[in-house]
Amino acid sequence: MKAFYNLLKPPNHADLYARYLWRLRLREISIRLAQISLLLLLIGGWEVGVRLGWIDPFLFSSPSRIASLFVQMITEGDLFHHIGQTALETLISFLLGTAGGTIIATVIWAFPWLARVLDPYLVILNSMPKVALGPLFIVTMGAGFGSILAMGIAITIIITTLVMYSSFQGVNPDHLKLARAFGATQWDLFRKIIFPSSIPDLIAALKVNVGLAWVGVIVGEFLVSKAGLGYLIIYGFQVFNLTLVLLSLFIVAICATIMYQAVAYLEKRLLRHRWTE
Amino acid sequence: MVASSAIQLDNVSKTYISRHNQVTAIRAVSFCVKPGEFIALVGPSGCGKSTVLSLIAGLLQPDEGEIRLFGEMVKGPSLRTGYMLQHDGLLEWRTVAENIALGLEIRKEINKQRLKQAHALLHELGLGHADQYYPSQLSGGMRQRVALVRTLALEPDILLLDEPFSAIDYQNKLFLEGLLNAILQRNEMTAVLVTHDLEEALAMSDRVFILGGQPGAIQRIIQLPEEIRALKPLEARSHPLFRPLFHELWQEIQQPHSFHKEDIR
Ligand SMILES: Nc1ncnc2c1ncn2[C@@H]1O[C@H](COP(=O)(O)OP(=O)(O)OP(=O)(O)O)[C@@H](O)[C@H]1O
Ligand SMILES: [Mg+2]
Repeated sequence: MKAFYNLLKPPNHADLYARYLWRLRLREISIRLAQISLLLLLIGGWEVGVRLGWIDPFLFSSPSRIASLFVQMITEGDLFHHIGQTALETLISFLLGTAGGTIIATVIWAFPWLARVLDPYLVILNSMPKVALGPLFIVTMGAGFGSILAMGIAITIIITTLVMYSSFQGVNPDHLKLARAFGATQWDLFRKIIFPSSIPDLIAALKVNVGLAWVGVIVGEFLVSKAGLGYLIIYGFQVFNLTLVLLSLFIVAICATIMYQAVAYLEKRLLRHRWTE
Repeated sequence: MVASSAIQLDNVSKTYISRHNQVTAIRAVSFCVKPGEFIALVGPSGCGKSTVLSLIAGLLQPDEGEIRLFGEMVKGPSLRTGYMLQHDGLLEWRTVAENIALGLEIRKEINKQRLKQAHALLHELGLGHADQYYPSQLSGGMRQRVALVRTLALEPDILLLDEPFSAIDYQNKLFLEGLLNAILQRNEMTAVLVTHDLEEALAMSDRVFILGGQPGAIQRIIQLPEEIRALKPLEARSHPLFRPLFHELWQEIQQPHSFHKEDIR
């Protein structure tokens, strides 16, 4: 408490820099406090609303119901199984989609003729709603893990290809000219100039793909799965257990945020020294 | 075959062709540069100065004519040339030390001794303390010095400079001109400098080639007198013969279509 008081105590009037820092700190604290209060207010309002009968608990459940279901499922032990299943599917399709897209982009960069040939196909595939391919995946790969992965990959790979290809093409021509003057081969150019230049765009693609992979996997689970958070959502909906639906949604939100933060951390590590234009 | 010239162009023409048009950048350009000589290449924008430099660097192939470096035909980027551009082209994700190693890495000439030499050069240019910095932490003048070290680390016999000092402030430019001059003389390097700065052209070089016309051709060559050539770039600028030469060069560039064929050799 003493430490907290010291944080808020205004510094000496004369020290401009200290005062500046102090004001900055106050602002940070006020923002955090407001965020936490808003959360508590929403949850509290929801709970109170249900108890006073303003909100129908059958449709909107209530925080206490969700919390007790959470505790119950943890003690029974199957919640972690569902979370693990979905997180694993998402992680794999996110990584494969991003890596696959980058590899395809590399190949079409190396063979410009191929890039021209594939151009209309990529455009069509990109505008296509990938989740509509679901039935095709199910008949070819069966109603299981494979189809879910395929869905997660399909939704990330094309956009990654397009983003990375245009990033490879946007590399500073002076860098290429200099490297060529040093005697660089195509492979040297790719390895030393083009790929490293494109890392900021790769990270941007990773960030987008985190969200997209979740979409693909959840939709995949809606269609075929016997386990996972998407399955819990669709199952909860079918038996009209909205508490289960909402609990699963919260968990999806938390997991997706954790993955996004991991990418953001990676970005901070990798892009420390670049200009942010 | 004994080569008496470091760079030799014979009737070199280059046309850029694209889907919508074709531009002949230079036509029938011939000249010789002796080993150890410093040539400045000047002329109005678009007359083909950068094209000439890219051709010598082996980045472009001539459509007609041939180019020889120390008697050898140029077929692609040569190990004997070093190339520098207006923009330093430093890679933002590499430290200064890693940036100056880039050329050595690509040429697979990287070893302890070469790196040590490159670092010695970095020290000489006053950047010994900065080798773990990233380019974003350096000023424009410092960045261009790093780019110079990166090029010199390859120990080229011929240095090709495309407006290397045009994006940095006047003070830094004078400083770098002096440094470059000293390094070139010490290593007996041949250099071709493209510049828009006529003072710089006269202060640094042994001969000034004036390129002009569309397509570009050599319009005139100005030989600098021994008195000025012996001086450092900064001192050359205040030599009594300097102003008249500057005027002559200025006049020549103002009237782009007067060819003095007899001056060319
Ligand atoms: N890659 C290219 N494709 C098509 N045309 C080009 C290309 N590079 C140069 N040109 C044309 O060739 C001519 C000579 O260009 P170049 O860059 O050699 O001129 P420059 O003397 O270096 O000009 P500046 O002083 O502006 O740098 C110009 O008309 C230019 O438009
Ligand atoms: Mg140019």
